[in-house]
Amino acid sequence: MERNRPITRRTVLAGAPALLGLGRKTGRPITGTFVNDSFDLGHRLRDRIPFASPKRQVKIPLVIVGGGMAGLNAAWHLDKRGFRDFVLLEMESQTGGNSRWGQNEISRFPWAAHYVPVPAKGESLARELFEELGVFRDGVWDDRVLCFAPQERLFIFGRWQEGIEPENATPRDTEQYRRFNDTINEFRASGQFTIPMERGPKASPLDQLSMADWLAREKFDSPTLRWYINYACRDDYGALARDTSAWAGIHYFASREPEEKGPLTWPEGNGWIAQRLSEKVRPYVRTGSVVYRIAREPRRLRVLTESTEYVADAVVFAAPTFLAQYLIEDAPRAEGFQYSPWLTANLTLDQMPREPGFDLAWDNVIYDSPALGYVNATHMNLATSTERTVWTFYWSLAEYAPADARRLLLAKDWNYWKEAILQDLERAHPDIRQCVSNIDIMRLGHAMARPATGFVFSDERRRWLKPLGNIFFANSDLSGFSIFEEAQYRGVTAAKEALKVLGRA
Amino acid sequence: MPVALFLSVFLIAACGLIYELIAGTLASYLLGDDVFQFSTIIGCYLFAMGIGSYLSRYLRRALVAQFVSIELMVGVVGGFSSSLLFLAFAYTDAFRLVLYVVVILVGTLVGLEIPLLMRILKERFRFSELISHVLTFDYLGALGASLLFPILLVPKLGLVRSALVFGILNAAVALWSTYLFREQLARSHVLRVGCFVVLACLGVGMVFADRISSSADNSLYADEVIFSRNTRYQHIVLTRWKDDLRLFLNTHLQFSSRDEYRYHEALVHPALAALPGARRVLVMGGGDGLAIREILKYPSVESITQVELDPEMTKLFSTHPVLSELNQHALMAPRVHVINADAFRWLDQNTEKFDFIVADFPDPTSYSLGKLFTTTFYRLTAKHLSAGGLLVVQSTSPLFARQSYWCIVESVKQAGLRTYPYHVYVPSFGEWGFVIGSFAPYDPPRQLPSGLRFLSTQNVAEMFGFPNDMQPVPAEPNRLNDQILVRYYDREWKEIAR
Repeated sequence: MERNRPITRRTVLAGAPALLGLGRKTGRPITGTFVNDSFDLGHRLRDRIPFASPKRQVKIPLVIVGGGMAGLNAAWHLDKRGFRDFVLLEMESQTGGNSRWGQNEISRFPWAAHYVPVPAKGESLARELFEELGVFRDGVWDDRVLCFAPQERLFIFGRWQEGIEPENATPRDTEQYRRFNDTINEFRASGQFTIPMERGPKASPLDQLSMADWLAREKFDSPTLRWYINYACRDDYGALARDTSAWAGIHYFASREPEEKGPLTWPEGNGWIAQRLSEKVRPYVRTGSVVYRIAREPRRLRVLTESTEYVADAVVFAAPTFLAQYLIEDAPRAEGFQYSPWLTANLTLDQMPREPGFDLAWDNVIYDSPALGYVNATHMNLATSTERTVWTFYWSLAEYAPADARRLLLAKDWNYWKEAILQDLERAHPDIRQCVSNIDIMRLGHAMARPATGFVFSDERRRWLKPLGNIFFANSDLSGFSIFEEAQYRGVTAAKEALKVLGRA
Repeated sequence: MPVALFLSVFLIAACGLIYELIAGTLASYLLGDDVFQFSTIIGCYLFAMGIGSYLSRYLRRALVAQFVSIELMVGVVGGFSSSLLFLAFAYTDAFRLVLYVVVILVGTLVGLEIPLLMRILKERFRFSELISHVLTFDYLGALGASLLFPILLVPKLGLVRSALVFGILNAAVALWSTYLFREQLARSHVLRVGCFVVLACLGVGMVFADRISSSADNSLYADEVIFSRNTRYQHIVLTRWKDDLRLFLNTHLQFSSRDEYRYHEALVHPALAALPGARRVLVMGGGDGLAIREILKYPSVESITQVELDPEMTKLFSTHPVLSELNQHALMAPRVHVINADAFRWLDQNTEKFDFIVADFPDPTSYSLGKLFTTTFYRLTAKHLSAGGLLVVQSTSPLFARQSYWCIVESVKQAGLRTYPYHVYVPSFGEWGFVIGSFAPYDPPRQLPSGLRFLSTQNVAEMFGFPNDMQPVPAEPNRLNDQILVRYYDREWKEIAR
C-alpha cells in the first residue's frame, strides 16, 4: 500500500523539510541480538531430556566440572602443585563463566564481572595470582590496571555528578552517611567481615535480619542513603535490600579497606583474568563439553558428556551448586540456594552522546533507575580522547522473585529489552539513539548467588562444604555470594581436598 | 521626492564602502600584512567600479528594473561577503581567490549603480544639479560608512552581521525604488517579490550569523575571532587585535603572538642548550610549531618528532600564512616529522629514544588531559629518554596554581627522575612554570643560541630561583587512579577566577 502511493505535490512538499535536513531526527536502526543463550541446554538438564551416550572412555584421576573462576582457579592450583592428571570440562565454547568477555572493532568488553577490589594484605591467594599475572610486583600494583580516575559518577537532579553518593544532601542525609560510615568502620574493626568469608565467624544474628530491616532498626531513613545501600545490594547480589541478609549487606562495605585506590579492572573486565588463567591451564581444558550426568559407583565416578565418558577417582564440582541435583546421581536438592537472574548488554557507540555535568567515568549510575547503569569499556585506554566506545549495561532484575524474573527474561524479545535499555539511558542521554549502532544482550538465568536473609549461616549452605563421596563442591555460591575472591578460594580449597583423597597432597 | 532619491544615493554609497572595508579588514585579520591587503583590495575594488561604470553603457532598456536587480545583487553578494570569506578561510585553501572574486564582483556591481541612477534621474534634474547632488551624497555616504565602521559596526555587530545589515539596506533601497519609480516600472510586482526573497535570505543569514562567524565565540573572547573550528578533538579559536594574534583551545589561551617568544624560549633553551650533543628530539603537544622553531636553532639536532593529537592543528600551523610565518615554517622543515597521534598511546607503542623530550600539553583542566601529567605518563616518557637526556614539562603557573605546579614536579620525581623546576614571566599568562627531568645531574647552560629575544645566560640561571610566594608546597603525585592534580587545579583556578 504504502509503497504504491503516487507521488503528489503534497508528498513532495511534506518531504522537502527532510531534504533540507530540517526534519525531526529519528533514531537510526540499531542492530543486535541475544548472545550466549544457554537456556535450552539448562532446560534439557532440568527436564532430564536424554543426551547421546559417549562412545569413548577415558580414565583420569580428577575431573573439574565448570570452567568459571572457581574451576579455572582449581586447575591453576593443581597445575602449580605439579598435578597434571585431570581435565576441566566447560559446556560453553569459552571458559570464564561470569567472567566471559567479548570484543568488537572498538574494544574488548565484559559480559558480566568487570572488576576485583584491590586485594588487601590478608588475601594471600588473590595476591599470589595477581603477582603471577604481573600486575602486583614488589608490593606495588600496576598503575595501568588500577581503575583510572574518574571512577564513578551519578546522574541525579538532571545532571551528572562525580562519585556515586548523592551530593546536595540535606543535613539529615549528611549526618546519616557519616553515622553509616562510622558503623561500618566499627564492623570492619571487629574482624568478623572477612574475605574469604569462611575465615570470619561461624554465625551472626545479623544474618537473620534483612538489610532493609537492619537499616530501619538502626534508624537509617535518609532516602538517598537507602537508595545507595539498596543499589549496592542490587549491584552485588542482584537482590533488593529487603531480600538481602543484613550480614551480607554489611559484608560488602565492611570487608575491605584497600590500601590502594582501585579497583583492578580491564577493558574486558575479569575476562582478562579468565583469559590469563585459561592460557595457563589450556592443556586441561575441554570446552563444549556438556556434563549431563555424574554417576557414583563404589570406587569411581563416571562423568558423562556426549562425546566422552571420564572415569575418575574424584570430581571438583565448580558449576553452580543448584545443578548438582540434576547432574549428580542421588544428590540432594540444594535447598536455600537462590540465584538472581541478570541481563547484561553491550552497546556499541560510534559517537559520544552529549551530557550535562561531570565527565564520563568508568562506572556510570542513574539515580532511581531500575537498572544498575553502565561501565565504559574504553575507560582503561591510555588515549586522552574517546570518539567511539562500548558500554556494558547491567540490569539485575531484583524487584521480581527470581523465578518470575527468569520467566520475564525468556518471554520478552530482543526488541523489548533494547527499548527498555534505551529508555533507561535516555533519561541521562537524550540523544543516545543517535549514538548507538548495536546492542547485544546476554540473558543469565542464574547469574549469581543471592545471600537471602538467613542463608549465609544456614545449615543448608554449610552441608555443601563437605564432599559428596569424592565430589568436592567449589562454586562461589558456597559462600553465599558470587565474587571473584570467593570463587578463587572455593576452587583452590576444593582442589586441595581432592588432592588429599587422591593421595597427592 | 528629491530628498528620498538622494537618500538612496547616500545609502548605496555607504553600502559600497562598507563592503570594501569589510573585505580589507577580513583579509588583514586572516592573512596579516594590513598595508598590502588594504592597498590591493582598495585598488581592485576601485578598478572593478571602473569596469562597472564602463559596462553601464550596455544597459539600455528598462533602466529602473535593471537598477533594482543590481541593487538586489549587491545586497546578496555584499551581504553574504564576509560569511562567504569566513567559510572559505575555514574550509578551503582558496581564500585569496574567493576574496578577490568577491571584491571584483561587488566593485563591478557598485560601479554600475551610480551611472545607472544618474541616467534614471537625468530627466528630472538639470545635469549640473544632478551631478552635484549625486556626488555630494555619494561622498557623504562614504564618510558616514567610514565613521560607522570602526566605531559601531565592528565592535557591536562584528564583520558577518555588518555585511548582512548593509545587504539588507541595499535590498531595502531596491524595494523602495520599486515604489519611487513605479511609473517607470513595468513589472514592479515581480521585482518586489524578488526584493522580499532577498530580504528574507539576508534575514535568515542574520539569524544564523552566530554559526558562521562563531559570534558566540565573540562574546567569550576580548578580541575579534578570526578563525574558529570544532575539530574532532577540540575547539580551536584564533583572535586578533592589531598585531596580537592569540590561540585558544577549548577557550584556554595557548599563546599570544606578542610574548610567546618568552614562553617558547624558556620552554626549550634551558634544557636543550645544556645538551650540546642532542640529536634526536621529541615534542609532544604544542602542535603550533613554536617550540620547534626554537629547537631548529640547534644545527646538531638531526631529527625532531612532533606528536600532536589534532591534525587540524598541525595543518593550520603548516599552511596558514600568518601562523606559519609565526613559527617560521617550522612544521615544514625537513628535519621535522609530524605524527598525528595520541601522545600517551604513541609512547606506549614505540621504543625510540630521544635526547630531548618536550611535554607541552594544555593545562590539566579535565581528567582526560590530566592523564598526560601522571606518574604513569612520566614513567613511560622516561623510558624514551636517553641516559644523558632531558625532559621538559609545561607545568602551569606556580603562582596561580601553586600546589598544581608542585604536584607536577612531584609526579616527574615519582617517575624516577631528578627534577629542576623553574619559572618565567609571560605577560599574557602571568608567572609560568616548567620542570626539567633527568637521570643525571643538570646544570643550566653557559651558552645559548644567538638571536634570542628574551633569554640570556644570566637570566637562565635566575629562573631556577623561586620567590617566597612560589616556594614548594606539599603535594601528592598525580596518579592515574586518583588524578589529584585535576582537583588541585580546579580548586586553585576557581579561587582566582571569581
